[in-house]
Amino acid sequence: MEEEILRIDGLSKIFGAGHLEVRALEDINLSVSKGDLVALLGPSGSGKTTMLLCISLILEPTAGKIDFDGQTIFHKDGWGVDMRRLRREKIGFVFQSHNLIPFLTAKQNVLLPLNLIGIKGEKAERRARELLEYMEIAHRADALPALLSGGEQQRVAIARALANNARLVLADEPTASLDTARGTKVMEILKKIARENQTAVIVVTHDVRMVSGFDHVYHLKDGRLNLQET
Amino acid sequence: MDLAFHDLKRHKARFIATIIGVGLLFTIVLAMNGLYRGNIADGTALIRSTNPDLWVVERYRGGPFNEQSTLPEFYHYSVQAVPGVEKASPFIYYTVERLVDGKSRHFSIVGYDVFGGLGGPKHIVAGRAIGQAHYEMVAHVKLGVHVGDRIPLGLHTYTVVGLTNDAVDGDGDPIVYLSLHDAQEVLYQPDNEEVRNERARLLQTLYGQSYLSPDQAQKLLAPLQPDTHVINAILVKLKPGVSTAEAAGMIRKWLYLNAYSTKDEVQLLLKGRLASITKQLLLFRVLLLLISVVIIALVVYTFTMEKIRSIAVMKLIGAPDWEIIRMVLEQSLFLTIVAFLVGQFVIHITYSKFPRTVLLLPGDDIVTFVVALIGGVLASILGLWHALKTQPAMALGE
Repeated sequence: MEEEILRIDGLSKIFGAGHLEVRALEDINLSVSKGDLVALLGPSGSGKTTMLLCISLILEPTAGKIDFDGQTIFHKDGWGVDMRRLRREKIGFVFQSHNLIPFLTAKQNVLLPLNLIGIKGEKAERRARELLEYMEIAHRADALPALLSGGEQQRVAIARALANNARLVLADEPTASLDTARGTKVMEILKKIARENQTAVIVVTHDVRMVSGFDHVYHLKDGRLNLQET
Repeated sequence: MDLAFHDLKRHKARFIATIIGVGLLFTIVLAMNGLYRGNIADGTALIRSTNPDLWVVERYRGGPFNEQSTLPEFYHYSVQAVPGVEKASPFIYYTVERLVDGKSRHFSIVGYDVFGGLGGPKHIVAGRAIGQAHYEMVAHVKLGVHVGDRIPLGLHTYTVVGLTNDAVDGDGDPIVYLSLHDAQEVLYQPDNEEVRNERARLLQTLYGQSYLSPDQAQKLLAPLQPDTHVINAILVKLKPGVSTAEAAGMIRKWLYLNAYSTKDEVQLLLKGRLASITKQLLLFRVLLLLISVVIIALVVYTFTMEKIRSIAVMKLIGAPDWEIIRMVLEQSLFLTIVAFLVGQFVIHITYSKFPRTVLLLPGDDIVTFVVALIGGVLASILGLWHALKTQPAMALGE
């Protein structure tokens, strides 16, 4: 049996109260194993990003339980861990708008999470260089984000997400701001990461064309998660 | 990784412009410090430079600098006779505006007993001290005259025999030293037309007195002329071991005059004539420092707000709060320190060109620097508050 990285049981998220209550997520159950490539599909407003925020410990769920990498990180009594430290050490993020730090070069953007986990100096430089080479963007290492194309920025962002040897990569609409060719390339990279690094990858997208080859595709509608046969 | 440094590097031009702007503001703060100190130094310079044991002035007066004091010249003989007094010298001081070298100049005249009396210039930087009873002067270098120059004052022309850099007057203007009688003459001696007019007016008054014959009226003219042997203070040097307080007490009790030590005289000025302008300058110092801190706060806040999405991303990828605090604080402190150094540099190359004395003291610079640093930290609080309450979800467009 494959090692389970993420397990979500009965997760709910309710915003507001009384007649203003909005049930963004309802009784979500999900299991993600090492190397799994999972897609969360759904239209705008279906709760995809809310789910991502709950998994990444940014938004506190209303109910349910989350186990991550062998420890319970959320249960009915609240958070069980230092959330920021967990994100820093075990989770990687890829965003729709790349979100590179604009005053840092591509390489420095990759060095940032390494420095945050205490890897510095030559060791950090080597790791950053390897990641940029892996993403085939090493030739633009010293360029500022503003001088990179959308696709190049996204590859740097993925390199940054992998810098901490993430156990789980969460990607929020990573292809939304790219054309089809570049979007497909980014998805290929995410698949490669899952296969070669055995990193679990959860991709939130609304584009059905981008999820071919994924291990599990879930459909989120009205806050409820349904497994779609692939 | 030093995020603050990388941000500064990326926005070099804007940071340099800000540093120059805030730096010039610090220049004004430091100039105001110097003006504040210079005002006190100038205002008390002549007192401290003259430095007798006692200043004897008119009774009930805080003269001769803080208010007017007028004494008959011969009083110094009475003071000389007080037990414990080694030397008592007449002293006169007043401010004039006269033509020097074709330009109207504002300066003060000190008249003293040039033959061994107190109150003369202590340091002659060129030429010599006054050596004869009349028509010689020693001028402060700020007057811009040279040894050998001849300067007309009143009815006579005086030769500059020496230059001094001892003291300026309370307004920062140069001081000219004359013999006592020359100084009295410059101050009191009217020109011939005025003398004739005054005599005619007095004679008419005397003729109108029925108890005086015309001949008696003519004889009374000379003794009724105003006395110009008037001084403003008597400078006293006491014999060794004599108590200043006791000697001053004796002068007050038996001669019906006021006597102050040099320290008292300085205090009279600081609490009197110099008090309001000193407070004004102090207020300006504080206000300008506050303005500098507010401007730094606004700049740091603006820089922080521009990075708010990056801060959200940093939080999302797990950057601890202290990393964000460090970035904002470093920028604020860097801006404060470099701007202060710019201010220091500019004031040190320009202070001598200010019309009033700008006295830069290392102690003031250090205090201002420390206050500026504390201000820089306080200034970053608004930016920090915003940075720390930024939600990481903002990075996801939430």
